[in-house]
Amino acid sequence: MNCQLCNARLPVRLSLRDLVMLRPLTPPTICERCRARFTRIDPAHACPGCSRPQEHTRLCLECAAWQHQYGWHLEHQALYTYNDAMKEYMHRYKFGGDYRLRTVFQAEVQQRIRQLGADLVVPIPVTQTTMATRGFNQVLGILGDVPVTPVLRHRALDKVAQSHKTRRQRLQTPQPFILTDPTIVRDKRILLVDDIYTTGRTLYHAATLIKAAQCHELVSLSLAR
Amino acid sequence: MMKLSEYYGRRVLVDQPHWRGTTPPAPVVVLPTMEMHGRRVRCLRCGQETDRRLAALPNGEFYCPCCINLGRVATLNKFYHVPEPNQFTVHRPVLTWTGKLSPLQVDAATAVDRGMAAHRHQLLWAVTGAGKTEMMFRGIAHALERGERLAVASPRVDVCLELYPRLTAAFQNTTMVLLHGRQELPYRYAQLTVCTTHQLLRFYHAFDNLIIDEVDAFPFAANDALLFASRQAVKADGGCLYLTATPGPALLRRVKRGELAVSYLPLRYHGHLLPRIRLQLAPGWRRAVQRGRLPASLLVQLRRSLADGFRFLLFLPHVADLAAVEPLLRAALPGHAFATVHAADPHRLTKVQQMRDGDYDFLVTTTIMERGVTFPAIDVFVLGADDPVFSSSALVQIAGRAGRSVSRPTGTVRFWIAIQCRRVRMAVHQVDFMNRKGRALQG
Repeated sequence: MNCQLCNARLPVRLSLRDLVMLRPLTPPTICERCRARFTRIDPAHACPGCSRPQEHTRLCLECAAWQHQYGWHLEHQALYTYNDAMKEYMHRYKFGGDYRLRTVFQAEVQQRIRQLGADLVVPIPVTQTTMATRGFNQVLGILGDVPVTPVLRHRALDKVAQSHKTRRQRLQTPQPFILTDPTIVRDKRILLVDDIYTTGRTLYHAATLIKAAQCHELVSLSLAR
Repeated sequence: MMKLSEYYGRRVLVDQPHWRGTTPPAPVVVLPTMEMHGRRVRCLRCGQETDRRLAALPNGEFYCPCCINLGRVATLNKFYHVPEPNQFTVHRPVLTWTGKLSPLQVDAATAVDRGMAAHRHQLLWAVTGAGKTEMMFRGIAHALERGERLAVASPRVDVCLELYPRLTAAFQNTTMVLLHGRQELPYRYAQLTVCTTHQLLRFYHAFDNLIIDEVDAFPFAANDALLFASRQAVKADGGCLYLTATPGPALLRRVKRGELAVSYLPLRYHGHLLPRIRLQLAPGWRRAVQRGRLPASLLVQLRRSLADGFRFLLFLPHVADLAAVEPLLRAALPGHAFATVHAADPHRLTKVQQMRDGDYDFLVTTTIMERGVTFPAIDVFVLGADDPVFSSSALVQIAGRAGRSVSRPTGTVRFWIAIQCRRVRMAVHQVDFMNRKGRALQG
């Protein structure tokens, strides 16, 4: 096996547990050096609304603004900060279209999903145009074999990518989604999953629809923040 | 849609939303991007086959992971291509270089010129420091006059960067473009393309003659995709000229089978032979270094070079060895200024410049200095030449750093090895082989 990011050889070290327990091995996907470039977010030192790393655990200013606008705020968790290493990874995986890279963080995302224990996992969708060019939904790729309930759909065929907008333009984006079947989410604990949390705009739009369909609880997760 | 000329002789990737349901204007041909081969898929840009499972996208689509750095090729894409029309106006004089070739260079240049005129596949095996670039000029000039489209490619960006200004100066009236991965300049149609061998993957039956400089350099030598690219980039009846000082086994095999015509240039531009490589056994040198001792024969040699007033390069296999050897050299050779340089060294360029300026008595380095760097009148030493990081062509290149100037056309080249190995033997043989040919010419 080689590191999926830098192609360095990965040493295969079997522990006694690997030998004794008759279960599939979970070999590392990237090397120690690449791994060290990513920064995990510690929920104990992050905003409870958006997972922004900070010293205290009160709502950050942005989340306070969402709270003011909507009367509620998300309980969002992110695994990693959106640092240079993560930007590079996203660039290669999402915009470069290297679908193999979906497995780099799969195990960690799946583990957090188990911890969050939701009834339904709802991925943020991509537009039809993205699907026709990129060929995959990057969120579904990161989720791997987690069963999902794709009840969100884009209204339009096409849209200007959030990543091409300024913060101000992002925040002014109108509702891009429709909920295909509101009855499914009713009285359920829903986990919304996206790849990156930047301004929160996308997730707040999605959450608004799901809350309006009277879900029981709503939490959200992204790989990066 | 881009300018039509940007499709000439190239295969441009087009996304599904753009090609589906539309027919491009007349001369544009739509070509497929991938082919199924049982359990593998084959990329038609780089020619590599990948296991279906590794190349799979959702919904039964596939992509090629091998050449993804050039923009992803997937079954979701098509290529737009316009067959090369050779739409050039020739402005004379084509050759604006006024330098002179030595009689030996003239012979090689004539052979190159004839081969290019006949669109032959040929190898110019010229020793390091023979003046290869100038020898191509006549062949290039005649090809340009015939209205041919040409490319000069090299596996190394630095070689391209060095070649481009020399070619623009030599062919001032010809349209020219420089292409490599690190630059964001847009592509434009030109009669002469200077590019890295990776960029050849974007071309399709474009060139009447393709010249590949330093074919033996990494990554070209070990990369099937690049070999494939070089075949795809030339027209079906096009010619290819390989330039090298150190042909690897694959090229030599093609020479033996008679697929490649060879011309030799065994003497340097100053007419002298290559310095011979001398070997010295130093078993267990790395252990000794770790215990704080350098091989005695190495120290004797270094002191002798310094006493004779010659500067030198000392090559080591790994970056880790640099750190271990540096303090030992500082202790053993007090009063001499030197530096260590490796690929990731942030001060690499300044240190090389300081060596050039004479601020250092010697440099201790890894393989990065193997080609393209010229210091006058130096000696060259390698400690651990048998390490697998040194290919035989790298060793010949390293040895070729010595004796490049007219002021001191000779020099001492010495390799310390822990054990005998094939790569070192081949390097010694190649130098001796060229010297035998050279001696015959010297008469």
